[in-house]
Amino acid sequence: MTYPTNPITSMELILPNELGYELIARDAVAAFAWRLGVPIDRIDDLKTALCEACINAIEHGNSLKPDLHVEILCRVEDECLVIEVCDEGVRPFAPKAEPLSIVEKLAGMGSLRGMGLMLISQLCDESGFVSRDDVGNCFRLAFQRHRAASLGCSSNPGSHVSV
Amino acid sequence: MMLEDELTVSTRDREGVAIVDLVGDVTTFAEEKINSAYREVTNKGTRFVLLNFRQNDYINSAGIAILIGIVTEVNRNGQKLAVSGLSQHFQKIFRMVGLAQYAEIYQNEDEAISGFKRNTLRVS
Repeated sequence: MTYPTNPITSMELILPNELGYELIARDAVAAFAWRLGVPIDRIDDLKTALCEACINAIEHGNSLKPDLHVEILCRVEDECLVIEVCDEGVRPFAPKAEPLSIVEKLAGMGSLRGMGLMLISQLCDESGFVSRDDVGNCFRLAFQRHRAASLGCSSNPGSHVSV
Repeated sequence: MMLEDELTVSTRDREGVAIVDLVGDVTTFAEEKINSAYREVTNKGTRFVLLNFRQNDYINSAGIAILIGIVTEVNRNGQKLAVSGLSQHFQKIFRMVGLAQYAEIYQNEDEAISGFKRNTLRVS
């Protein structure tokens, strides 16, 4: 399959706020990333990171409320594919100081859940919450489109909280 | 509506190793099936448990939490745990979250069985 030399560089998705729909977003965004030249091994990372960001939005930001939605905005910024996952902010994000390690979890020091943000931060070239004018949380993931790119992914103007 | 590839869990014995075959997505919806299969093989007195995944299935952080719960039980019951069949990507994920410290990762079931045998010989 041959792709156009000037491909579309942005895409938006609106997901129902239901667990499982992150898989539809994953497959759509993975196909979009592939068209934009993101290396295949990074697409696997993108898929996992995006699913975790969507699950956080569905479960925490939107508190599993079925009448809400999750918005996913994808666009090219410089040499990066940037993906923003935005919820409707029933619950504002409250970052924990440091996620528990598996050793601490096995010692019964807290929930076995809560590894999503840690995974995201390790799988993306950049990640973090960004401020937005509307209500809701917005989480930004960035991936370099080409392995050889030496520059990082530039952040949007506004606050950017890395995780 | 179920968008996921719903998990099918089955158990079998091979050369003294309890193999738990996991076919489908390992997410929050998998908890009861996985825990039930683990209880079943543990009640039979097994010392060696192999979680045998199917390449390319989806595992998310909620699924990983279930597996950490299994590690807790395995440690408590003095068993040995291993995993097989994971894609390269999910092998990396298991290392990232620390599961690889508690469960040996093998490419496939045959390697895992050989690994259990080697470890048994080393112990005895």
